Amino acid sequence: MEAKDQKKHRKKNSGPKAAKKKKRHLQDLQLGDEEDARKRNPKAFAVQSAVRMARSFHRTQDLKTKKHHIPVVDRTPLEPPPIVVVVMGPPKVGKSTLIQCLIRNFTRQKLTEIRGPVTIVSGKKRRLTIIECGCDINMMIDLAKVADLVLMLIDASFGFEMETFEFLNICQVHGFPKIMGVLTHLDSFKHNKQLKKTKKRLKHRFWTEVYPGAKLFYLSGMVHGEYQNQEIHNLGRFITVMKFRPLTWQTSHPYILADRMEDLTNPEDIRTNIKCDRKVSLYGYLRGAHLKNKSQIHMPGVGDFAVSDISFLPDPCALPEQQKKRCLNEKEKLVYAPLSGVGGVLYDKDAVYVDLGGSHGFQDEVGPTHELVQSLISTHSTIDAKMASSRVTLFSDSKPLGSEDIDNQGLMMPKEEKQMDLKTGRMRRKAIFGDEDEPGDSDDEEDDEMSEDDGLENGSSDEEAEEEENAEMTDQYMAIKGVKRRKLEELEEDGEMDLPAFADSDDDLERSSAEEGEAEEADESSEEEDCTAGEKGISGSKAAGEGSKAGLSPANCQSDRVNLEKSLLMKKAALPTFDSGHCTAEEVFASEDESEESSSLSAEEEDSENEEAIRKKLSKPSRVSSGQKLGPRNLIDETSDIENLLKEEEDYKEENNDSKETSGALKWKEDLSRKAAEAFLRQQQAAPNLRTLIYGTVTEDNEEEDGDTREELGGLFRVNQPDRECKHKADSLDCSRFLVEAPHDWDLEEVMNSIRDCFVTGKWEDDKDAAKVLAEDEELYGDFEDLETGDVHKGKSGPNTQNEDIEKEVKEEIDPDEEESAKKKHLDKKRKLKEMFDAEYDEGESTYFDDLKGEMQKQAQLNRAEFEDQDDEARVQYEGFRPGMYVRVEIENVPCEFVQNFDPHYPIILGGLGNSEGNVGYVQMRLKKHRWYKKILKSRDPIIFSVGWRRFQTIPLYYIEDHNGRQRLLKYTPQHMHSGAAFWGPITPQGTGFLAIQSVSGIMPDFRIAATGVVLDLDKSIKIVKKLKLTGFPYKIFKNTSFIKGMFNSALEVAKFEGAVIRTVSGIRGQIKKALRAPEGAFRASFEDKLLMSDIVFMRTWYPVSIPAFYNPVTSLLKAVGEKDTWSGMRTTGQLRLAHGVRLKANKDSLYKPILRQKKHFNSLHIPKALQKALPFKNKPKTQAKAGKVPKDRRRPAVIREPHERKILALLDALSTVHSQKMKKAKEQRHLHNKEHFRAKQKEEEEKLKRQKDLRKKLFQIQGQKERRNQKSSLKGAEGQLQ
Amino acid sequence: MATQAHSLSYAGCNFLRQRLVLSTLSGRPVKIRKIRARDDNPGLRDFEASFIRLLDKITNGSRIEINQTGTTLYYQPGLLYGGSVEHDCSVLRGIGYYLESLLCLAPFMKHPLKIVLRGVTNDQVDPSVDVLKATALPLLKQFGIDGESFELKIVRRGMPPGGGGEVVFSCPVRKVLKPIQLTDPGKIKRIRGMAYSVRVSPQMANRIVDSARSILNKFLPDIYIYTDHMKGVNSGKSPGFGLSLVAETTSGTFLSAELASNPQGQGAAVLPEDLGRNCARLLLEEIYRGGCVDSTNQSLALLLMTLGQQDVSKVLLGPLSPYTIEFLRHLKSFFQIMFKIETKPCGEELKGGDKVLMTCVGIGFSNLSKTLK
Repeated sequence: MEAKDQKKHRKKNSGPKAAKKKKRHLQDLQLGDEEDARKRNPKAFAVQSAVRMARSFHRTQDLKTKKHHIPVVDRTPLEPPPIVVVVMGPPKVGKSTLIQCLIRNFTRQKLTEIRGPVTIVSGKKRRLTIIECGCDINMMIDLAKVADLVLMLIDASFGFEMETFEFLNICQVHGFPKIMGVLTHLDSFKHNKQLKKTKKRLKHRFWTEVYPGAKLFYLSGMVHGEYQNQEIHNLGRFITVMKFRPLTWQTSHPYILADRMEDLTNPEDIRTNIKCDRKVSLYGYLRGAHLKNKSQIHMPGVGDFAVSDISFLPDPCALPEQQKKRCLNEKEKLVYAPLSGVGGVLYDKDAVYVDLGGSHGFQDEVGPTHELVQSLISTHSTIDAKMASSRVTLFSDSKPLGSEDIDNQGLMMPKEEKQMDLKTGRMRRKAIFGDEDEPGDSDDEEDDEMSEDDGLENGSSDEEAEEEENAEMTDQYMAIKGVKRRKLEELEEDGEMDLPAFADSDDDLERSSAEEGEAEEADESSEEEDCTAGEKGISGSKAAGEGSKAGLSPANCQSDRVNLEKSLLMKKAALPTFDSGHCTAEEVFASEDESEESSSLSAEEEDSENEEAIRKKLSKPSRVSSGQKLGPRNLIDETSDIENLLKEEEDYKEENNDSKETSGALKWKEDLSRKAAEAFLRQQQAAPNLRTLIYGTVTEDNEEEDGDTREELGGLFRVNQPDRECKHKADSLDCSRFLVEAPHDWDLEEVMNSIRDCFVTGKWEDDKDAAKVLAEDEELYGDFEDLETGDVHKGKSGPNTQNEDIEKEVKEEIDPDEEESAKKKHLDKKRKLKEMFDAEYDEGESTYFDDLKGEMQKQAQLNRAEFEDQDDEARVQYEGFRPGMYVRVEIENVPCEFVQNFDPHYPIILGGLGNSEGNVGYVQMRLKKHRWYKKILKSRDPIIFSVGWRRFQTIPLYYIEDHNGRQRLLKYTPQHMHSGAAFWGPITPQGTGFLAIQSVSGIMPDFRIAATGVVLDLDKSIKIVKKLKLTGFPYKIFKNTSFIKGMFNSALEVAKFEGAVIRTVSGIRGQIKKALRAPEGAFRASFEDKLLMSDIVFMRTWYPVSIPAFYNPVTSLLKAVGEKDTWSGMRTTGQLRLAHGVRLKANKDSLYKPILRQKKHFNSLHIPKALQKALPFKNKPKTQAKAGKVPKDRRRPAVIREPHERKILALLDALSTVHSQKMKKAKEQRHLHNKEHFRAKQKEEEEKLKRQKDLRKKLFQIQGQKERRNQKSSLKGAEGQLQ
Repeated sequence: MATQAHSLSYAGCNFLRQRLVLSTLSGRPVKIRKIRARDDNPGLRDFEASFIRLLDKITNGSRIEINQTGTTLYYQPGLLYGGSVEHDCSVLRGIGYYLESLLCLAPFMKHPLKIVLRGVTNDQVDPSVDVLKATALPLLKQFGIDGESFELKIVRRGMPPGGGGEVVFSCPVRKVLKPIQLTDPGKIKRIRGMAYSVRVSPQMANRIVDSARSILNKFLPDIYIYTDHMKGVNSGKSPGFGLSLVAETTSGTFLSAELASNPQGQGAAVLPEDLGRNCARLLLEEIYRGGCVDSTNQSLALLLMTLGQQDVSKVLLGPLSPYTIEFLRHLKSFFQIMFKIETKPCGEELKGGDKVLMTCVGIGFSNLSKTLK
């Protein structure tokens, strides 16, 4: 038997072993060496057809170009912000554990409790911000917009859940961040084969969703409640080396994922009105694009705000300074998570925070029993209550389960299957694919077979049992975890309770420190104008930067001369002075004068000498320029600026006074006004500091000042003071031409010479001068050797070349050394030429794409280099705050609920808005109902969109574009087709993706994403139309002309539609001609054929519909803690009807009525005689008996009467009619009479009967009496006889 | 809530165009008060009203509120629409007054703009249509605004006070602009000009040409000045003549100067010879100022740099005109953008006056009106 069971050996035909064998075989035949078939068989690869070859070439080129991405300018900053890693997954899949493990892996620190984003340094050049994403769809949407990398956790023991797919679709819409799958709960598989199968199945499903080959990580199991170190380490490595492609929305908008929030509202305001709008400061790394001060931002879940202030702070989680080592040391492994209470020392504008985290950091690993006890202690609600609550959830979900059994038209759509964890009472939304189960089953079967064959395992039942066991175990485990989790939440709550108090108590401290800061600033700027102290300070430092640049890097000189410390000191001292020193050239002169004087007066310190030197340097170029008499400037403008400059002058002098009182500075103070005047004169000639001129004196609407200048006269009239210079300016001529105020005399030679070099006829720069360039070329290309012929061409060709050659030959003989050197030179030249040729040749093949790429690269380089040398304070003014900075953003007028209901688990995102993205208008988009969404969408049903940063509810109208460009309203979205959608809402740039959901509150059955699409157009008006048919009826018909009424109400309306095409229902086309006088609204129309009175005439028109201006931002973050996923906005009419029990009033005509069919009566078939005759016999009607022939004698002859007779007959007729009438009457009477008689008779009879009855009665009475008497007498008689 | 961005407020009628143009581009409403409030004739003038009407024509959904006296104007911008438009400009100002603003707005329309402007083509106040055609259009091309339909055609010439000129301006739309690096003005290789005369003797133009050449020939041989004598209906309603000169450099920048005769009945008569000579001198002044952009187009260049992608743009300018300075201030208040301004003193080289190097990072503006197909 056994021998029979054994399989016959089959030779392998494929696989590595077979290939090896084959190769060996080929080698034996001595063919294997030539692996290239092209070589082995050249004839087969010869060109057969040029056309085909061209085609194949085209094809390969097409494929090549398909791979190109359009090049974009690389705008990533040098020090990029941390990468946002979103850890997403359904509940209880192990997100928090994974985050904890990752943090521990990177930083060797253990965070017990994670709230909000955690920033860590993961490598020499990379930081990560890890944030957990729960299952609230609001959170999922928000985080998908800011994510760089998504770690998608999947419970392998359970399979995919709906949230995973929802999140993937959200990601797809809002730009696709990198997505990495992580399979957890793999230890619950006991059976290895099962595990393998599951892995494979999940992997392939994941690939279809993301992209084939997407990375899927396997976390095989837990050790002491944590994932295995090696696996986490590998995952960490993957994250650290991952590369990212820039996403359009993210790179074009600045955004901040806030990791800290402080309430800055005045406590007094809160005390008086607890609901007052708050002022908050939010902290976080700036990402994406540059953010400018005072720009508009949107906080998803809260609303739109304007940044009231923004400042950058030192990086709390900075990258290591030097990068010489291979790995980070422990000190550099920073972690920063203020919402979780981690971050060590914090510096910011308002205060310094020191975290003494040690007390929490050393919590021991808690054993399961301990945990249980803990959980028991920490539970507040009774078990009964919990049970009750769990039952409630069970009840609410059991209903939709039944409805989902219906399959959805065989799409690859995940079916949702609600599964309950009995222990935790949690509902899991399993996503099941139709195709998955079957192969799985078959696999199982195969497995079974195999196992049977092997004789290792028993049946499948054992397996199942085992699985169940596993499941139970996991459930148990989950239950424990759940309890722990709850405990944690409670802890968090405590923390939250503490948090506001902390903020409040800190407020005073903060403010005081801010004041201090200001004071310091004030000190630094030493009596600058007290207003706009901050700005001035900035501009001062900026000017200092410029000064240092202009002055041929004086800082360098300084550092050469004095040591570092001193230079630092000096910088501080020089800061304010430099500021105004460079402000205007004349000031520099003034200071120079002053310093010259002072130097003559007293010995100065080294520092001041340095300063002086720098100043001199500074002044030199400007002096030169001043000599040249600069382009004349508009006088008006200058005069307006004089005051300013004078003021500055004074300030500057005061400063100097402060700093150099020892050097006898009082001397120049004597005649300030004179000097000022001088300075002004000089200013006219010299180039002013344009920056302060332009930006220093920005005045918008100076009404307040005006108010002050006015004086009241007698309390009634106002003295209208003459306008100041600037007022004149405000109303002067608006002209862009730059008039020449003081023209040069262009007849003078020197004036003419001043622009000589502007012309091609003038002198050129060295690098562009044609003569010089030519000369250089000569050097390079002058001599060359024709390699083919071996001739050597000499650059200097002339009549004496030959002579030279001869001479050379002679020389050669004489000087072998020289010859050698010449050879060397020659070789060098050749090499150079070759290099150039190579370079040119390689470059020569550059395509358009390469050029474009090069251009982008150049631009990127320029972007980086332009502001590199400036300090951040100045840089921020030009570029805005650049991504990568840690910034503090102040926002005012935030709703109080935001602060009161602050939940650190929810991400707070500040999304920057572009220009006019804060405005509202009509947005048109291309929309497609999601193929997994089971319903279709209805026009005018409120729906929640997620577009750009925003989530909001609005009322869209769906439309479709006809071939002629008409946008026709649709009542519902098409099932499987794109349609247009238009709504009134915030303007978002075209090309932005969006998604729509019906509701964000709670858990809905099935897939939640209703539709996706892209924004197409923005406008302030919209033209969506719906069809409107006007009907009318003809009331008079001529040949082809008819008079129609009932379509319009007035002649005016008709006039509007003259010439319009009309049609009858039967299809006769016509045209409106002209209105008729009566009846009102009737018109004459001509048709292509004659109408019938029964025709209905109609006209197709289009009626524009209006879009309801409804825009309602989803303010989910303002909801109370724990209720943030319960936001609900406007309800649909359907929901309202359901809630209020209002049924839709049906149109009476639309109702179904019983169909009554009349019995159809058919006439008998009559076949004409002729036809009958022609019919063959069998078809002739036979059933009807032929009327028999009446014999002649029985036929009555026709009677023809004479007129006389006819008269008689007529008379007889009339008489007989009269008679018959008489008879009839008589008969009637008789009848009546008879009736009467009959009645009378009946009465008589009745009476007779009655009488007889009475008689009989009497008779019987008498008879009876008689009998009684007889009886009595007989009795008496007997008695009597007896007596 | 997507509230309307808080509006900006200004006083006085000066720089009205700038404010309205920037408001349209940035989407922020603007309120201008006290427009000639102290004037004997308060309120908006005809030409300003005409400009506002023009803005209304090329935008969709704009809200304009003007008070009774015309001293206060509230403008809430809509979206730029474009399309085929005709507009009768006020004869108080030249077409250049309107065209300058249109040049700023035209690339950002929903539909390509094709506009017919009627009025005064050449006057003494505003940059003439000839100059704008010769300088502004090549400047726009540097920013990637180009194509067949990008042109400015002068159909009829009209001189003040009568007007009667007509120009056709058409411009394609762009979604984004290219950043520019114009730091090398190059050397002037040729000078071209246009001497025009309407309703006067055609000889005038020739006289202008001769006189202008007499000055310019000292610097450069490659000079050609076209004469343009319009007749009949093409010559507008008033007599006049003038000259516009354009110098082109090796690196493709254009510097211009122009002069027109006094309007009929205003001021003394101008000799064509004087006019030619003065105009040539003005051109030399312009060359002395130098830079990569003409002094009239400074603000246009700066605006387009601001509206570029988030890349660094640089441009070398001559001394900044007061108009440009105010424009920079407005750019800051509307777009929160500041330019890095470096003065480049012109040492010993004989290349005219000091230059200013303006550097900025674009705000990443994209055309919100353009429809995505």
